[in-house]
Amino acid sequence: MTDFERIFHPQRLAIVGVSADSRSIGFGNGILVACRAMGFAGEILPVNPRGGTFAGQEIYRSVEDIPGDIDFAAIAVPAESVPDALEACRRKGAAGAEVVTAGFAELGTPEGIALEQRVKEVAARGIRVVGPNCFGIYCPRSGLTLLPGPDLSRESGPVAFLSQSGGMSIDLAHTGKWMGIRFSKVVSFGNGADLRETELLRYLGDDPETGVVAMYVEGVEDGDAFFEAARSVGRRKPVVVYKGGLSEAGRRAVVGHTASMGGSRAIWSGVLRQVNAVQVGDLAEIAQACLAFALLPARTYRGISMIGGGGALGVAAGDAAEANGISIPLLAPELQDRISAVLPKPGSSAGNPIDVANPFFPPEGLRRVLQLAAEDPRVELQVVTSLLYHYKSQAAAIGRSLAEVAPFRELAEAAGDAAEATGKPVIVILPSLKRGGDDLDVLDVLARARQAFLDRGVPVFDDIADALRAVGHLNAYYGRRDG
Amino acid sequence: MAEGTARAAQILEGARLDGRRVLSEHEAKGVLAAYGIPVTREVLATARGEVAAAAAAIGFPLVVKACSPEIAHKTERGLVRVDLRSESEALRAFDEIMAGLAGAPGAVLVQEMVRGSRELAAGLVRDADFGPCVMFGLGGIFTEILHDVAFRKAPLDEADALDLFQEIKGWRILEGARGLPPADRKELAALLIALGRLGREHPAVEEIDVNPIILAGSRPVVADALIVLR
Repeated sequence: MTDFERIFHPQRLAIVGVSADSRSIGFGNGILVACRAMGFAGEILPVNPRGGTFAGQEIYRSVEDIPGDIDFAAIAVPAESVPDALEACRRKGAAGAEVVTAGFAELGTPEGIALEQRVKEVAARGIRVVGPNCFGIYCPRSGLTLLPGPDLSRESGPVAFLSQSGGMSIDLAHTGKWMGIRFSKVVSFGNGADLRETELLRYLGDDPETGVVAMYVEGVEDGDAFFEAARSVGRRKPVVVYKGGLSEAGRRAVVGHTASMGGSRAIWSGVLRQVNAVQVGDLAEIAQACLAFALLPARTYRGISMIGGGGALGVAAGDAAEANGISIPLLAPELQDRISAVLPKPGSSAGNPIDVANPFFPPEGLRRVLQLAAEDPRVELQVVTSLLYHYKSQAAAIGRSLAEVAPFRELAEAAGDAAEATGKPVIVILPSLKRGGDDLDVLDVLARARQAFLDRGVPVFDDIADALRAVGHLNAYYGRRDG
Repeated sequence: MAEGTARAAQILEGARLDGRRVLSEHEAKGVLAAYGIPVTREVLATARGEVAAAAAAIGFPLVVKACSPEIAHKTERGLVRVDLRSESEALRAFDEIMAGLAGAPGAVLVQEMVRGSRELAAGLVRDADFGPCVMFGLGGIFTEILHDVAFRKAPLDEADALDLFQEIKGWRILEGARGLPPADRKELAALLIALGRLGREHPAVEEIDVNPIILAGSRPVVADALIVLR
């Protein structure tokens, strides 16, 4: 029985392969520095045969020299030393270890394959291995972090991510931090010599901390087992899958990447649909889907209201909605009249999409419009587009900064209050249209505005099409699971 | 059903003993029929003298075509005659096709001409990750032109099959339109489920291509099939 608790929340963490040289940029030092920066709660026990000290901490000459047992180890020694280091950790009672070192089966050489086989043999004797050729585990609750991740969030949340690719794991962890995705566990499992996609998926399916499982897979070890696990977990919580290597060029890249073969596009699509997994096509789409699954109540949203200033916004919204099977119902005349009374004249329209005529529509007006539109039973979700950058010229005219003038805090309060009062969630679109070096103040305000909305539980997307595609994923998943 | 499995195994084993990787159309349909899949009524005629009885047994109009494991593209080689309405037409078709075989081993298949304007396709492939997978899509020439197909891993249950119908872009072909009745989805689902079962029960089968499946009114009938062994 694998003790995942000691793997994800270790009290005593050995880091094997830490150099006493403070200028070292080796992986072992990287992990140690990153875990300290994250405020890892347990004890960190560095190991290096040459001994010495690192940042005031004694380096043990061997794993055996560590007094007492260990729970988990991060191994960053050269590939040929990994099997022995792993065996030493096993004898020290470690429940598991992450091997960040590369140079195993992914090389395709007989030596690399033989070395990975030895890792498997040690694992089979009773220590669970993450890797080799990976970035390890990120667990906000314990402060364990990915190899290059000293500055990830310590806030836990419902999203778990399993990734064959280390780069993809750190990229999503960083993306999630600013997008408002909070993680339960992120595992970069690299070559997957021992623990890999299917077993980890089953574990996360049972993990009460995890509400959404996202995965990046290049190949699966056992298609039947993966199928059964995905189907079983998918009945309880959404499973979001990015299958890499489905293009011809991608397939060639995968073979050299993690020693597995990419499968056929059409078959993967069919199989993922069969188990009601949510198939996405890139990292950004994983993030967007996870954000929507994490922040929106678990149900379908077939009808929406669309609120923003400018007619073309409504056109683009309509197109994006239709592409995702979402309707924007025309509101009843009586409701339109009541909404219209709140809107500036001329140039506004209360039909749905609701055109608020200009980007300076005040937060109190937005609050009222959201409350009114929610009265239509067909409106199940409200989408507000706010073009905050327009406040820049207004601010300049009165000699103030954009951050002082743009009412993003008030807008966030209005959206958050309306969502709570009506029970109908609100999504906000904050397009980032000015990104040049002379508009860093706009980027700054957008980042603050995003945080203000997230603080009220309101998910923010850059683009209406991204947002509605993510809502489409919820509709497909919950529609098929519960419908 | 176990009887069907045994019958299919017998046909597959026969081809293997012949040292063939490809089954003839008639053999392939025999395997499908053993799994309860509706196929065209047909008789294999090896001699000219058998044509009249075959034609009488099946009834006009007829399709007459070459049946040889060595010839996969009968239409392209001009070895198919359709809508034959008399014994003399059938005999002439027999003579021409036998001549067209040009010494290749084979016979002539005399089969019912299924009337229907909608053609579907189904199949079985073995995927490196997921094992036997069932394909469904638009049939006839549209298979190659539109490539509107989708897959499910075997075994399929009825819900899988019904969902598979919805996944192809041309799913409306199964609905009633322009005076055509809606396709019998239960029957079609049973066909796909049977294909998946066939793939799981016979590891020797590498690939099955069932195309076209003609909708005769609402009822699917397999008009041509190919089975390749490993």
